[in-house]
Amino acid sequence: MADMNVPTAGATDQTTIGRVRDTPPIRHRSFLSPGGWRSVIWVIPGLALVGVFVYFPLIQNVYLSFFDWSVFKPVPAFVGTANYEQMIDDAVFWRALFNNTAYAVVSLVFQVVGALVLAAVVEEFVRKRGRGILRAIYFIPSAISITVAGLLFYFIYQPETGLLNEALRQVGLGDWAQAWLGQESTAIWGIIIMSQWQSFGYTTLLYSVAMQRIPQELYDAADIDGIGPIRRIVQITTPLVREMTSLLVIITISGAFQVFNEVMVMTAGGPNNSSQVLGTWLYSSGFINNQFGYAAAIATVIFVITFALAMIQLGSARRRRVEW
Amino acid sequence: MKNMSGQRITKLVAGVAGAVLLLSGCSAQAGPDSSASVDLSKVDYSGTITMVNKFSDPSTSKYFPAMAKAFEELHPGVTVKVQQESDQGYKDKIKVLASSNSIPDIYFVWAGSYAKQYVDAGFALDITSQIGPGTEWNKTLAPSAVEAGVYDGKSYGIPLDLDAKFMVYNKKIFADNGIEVPTSFSQLLADCKTFKDKGITPINFGNKNGWPALHYVTQLNAYNVPAATLDKDYTATNGEFTDPGYVKALDQFKQLLTTCTKSPTAANGIDHNDDEVGFAAGKSAMMYLEWVEFGQLDGTQLATDGWDFFQLPAETDAAGSPTVLVGAPDEFLINPKSKNPALAVAFMKFVVSQENAAKMQTLMVGYPSPVIGSMTSDNSSPQSIKALDAVSKASGLAIWLDTVTPPAVASAYLSGGEALVSGTSTPEEVMQSVQKAAATSH
Repeated sequence: MADMNVPTAGATDQTTIGRVRDTPPIRHRSFLSPGGWRSVIWVIPGLALVGVFVYFPLIQNVYLSFFDWSVFKPVPAFVGTANYEQMIDDAVFWRALFNNTAYAVVSLVFQVVGALVLAAVVEEFVRKRGRGILRAIYFIPSAISITVAGLLFYFIYQPETGLLNEALRQVGLGDWAQAWLGQESTAIWGIIIMSQWQSFGYTTLLYSVAMQRIPQELYDAADIDGIGPIRRIVQITTPLVREMTSLLVIITISGAFQVFNEVMVMTAGGPNNSSQVLGTWLYSSGFINNQFGYAAAIATVIFVITFALAMIQLGSARRRRVEW
Repeated sequence: MKNMSGQRITKLVAGVAGAVLLLSGCSAQAGPDSSASVDLSKVDYSGTITMVNKFSDPSTSKYFPAMAKAFEELHPGVTVKVQQESDQGYKDKIKVLASSNSIPDIYFVWAGSYAKQYVDAGFALDITSQIGPGTEWNKTLAPSAVEAGVYDGKSYGIPLDLDAKFMVYNKKIFADNGIEVPTSFSQLLADCKTFKDKGITPINFGNKNGWPALHYVTQLNAYNVPAATLDKDYTATNGEFTDPGYVKALDQFKQLLTTCTKSPTAANGIDHNDDEVGFAAGKSAMMYLEWVEFGQLDGTQLATDGWDFFQLPAETDAAGSPTVLVGAPDEFLINPKSKNPALAVAFMKFVVSQENAAKMQTLMVGYPSPVIGSMTSDNSSPQSIKALDAVSKASGLAIWLDTVTPPAVASAYLSGGEALVSGTSTPEEVMQSVQKAAATSH
């Protein structure tokens, strides 16, 4: 056990409990080597499908973002970077970008940090039978369709008959009752909160699964060293679910920048475009305002943001990968 | 959060883009001939015609399948394929179909600039020879309904129904509180105050999707802005929206919100349909409803209490047209690239006929037909008969603001109306954003 890098008091780096991965060189078989061509044949259909349905539309989308075109202008007119310049002056675009960023930040807090704490607490303090029940309870909202959840919260937020305002009135906070989805200052936050309610159980479950894979010996060793439950969470559990954390950070951030359905169901971007996100503004620009070139430019920005964030996070995770 | 809808949209935009690019050459070489003549005396009653519409709601979805079946029985060599979508789903579907030159033979449009986009792009057949002035079909239809389908002096739209907006009121609540039907806008506000003082919600108003506010503004614009100015500003180009009547209309709407609704700034968070349920349950004295919504009031508390309606009253010094009524028919266009356009027109003539229009009253509950004489006291409610009379007496129909104006102007009005409701913009600020949108729309 002494060789297992048991956490010690004051340890802050994961290298105290695991090792920075010293990956042995992997021998790759070259496509040019004898028999290597056979692997190419197996990969071609998949590559073709991904190329046609993922990469070709992406490249074409970037190309079309330099044109002014719509359903009613079948011959696109090249406009250079005009669509991107329009974006700079478009207050709704910046509002949407802010809303997506707020969505990402709040989602990170609830769906990554909050879910990690909740899963750790459940795994650490709750008996085995109770854990299953709690996991099921947390997971149920994730099993509800986002459209149904959106409608459910629309009724909860309803200003006159909604559950939230009625609850506030019942506890003497009637002055706080308001049109949560009907006011520019609160609409997007109402949607974001609904999304956290819907998704945190799913990420909590993923964390629980990751925590169950941590070797029990580490916790046993910590017990022998007299380390308490909070420090076990901080110094054993949290570092050893780092890969899951990295995955959830990517999923959460990219999901926050691709959010669409809940906004369309609950506010359709209103009132006065206050709850627009990039996805809904893209949709409005293309399918309502007939500016498909501008919509393509917004789509390109969404792709660049999510791709860049994913690359940064993946790179960071790879450098700090641990194993035991 | 787990939905990848953003990716779907990215690909959808790119997909539409690809279709347009791939087919643009075809369009240029063999563009639709929107002036191709149709002769209904020589219709080839064989083959298949296709239709897409927005009537998938259970209360309206039976009509077109029934019409298709009846037409097929009448003409054994014909197959009519009907696709029905939801209101929102239709808006997406028809644009994707248009972008790939896959528009069906017959398709739905909202009257106004929305329809004109399709006309201007060559996606609509000129059917003046069939439904234009002096034709046999024309004489069977309400003039205002046919007129709504005329673009650049030619007839393209086939009206399916009639619609108009009225202030519906609860007769019992009015009688119990000694209120008479108001004859001016000021009187309406005074009545609202009386109701509010007695703890009664005067008007239910839900504006979750933005358009309910624009229905008020459409009517108030017609009252406060001279008709010629409206015509000029509402067209796709040259809209200025500088007439002071526009600000006055928004001012009046704001007064109405403040005086007549329960929580003026909360309306953006309430769905129109939810409020209609409340109104039908007797929770308020009035609600601004479309004619096509009358059928939904059957069997409710309101029906027990008794209800009637009046046109939203104009102010006595209105500079516009106090006899214009907000409303517009739903229309269908014929694809000029249809393999058998005459058969498509023949089918629509069959649908919008005296015999079948009468069936609308049962198969599309509450939908009034534009066919003259199709609505009788035997098949329609007294209120529908009265509405028909009101529409026939109106000096014109003011088409919904969100479909009569170009998309950019409509969007500016929609978001401006919401801002006015939530109290974050003044009428002047809303009109500035509308003017800016009009200047950039083309």
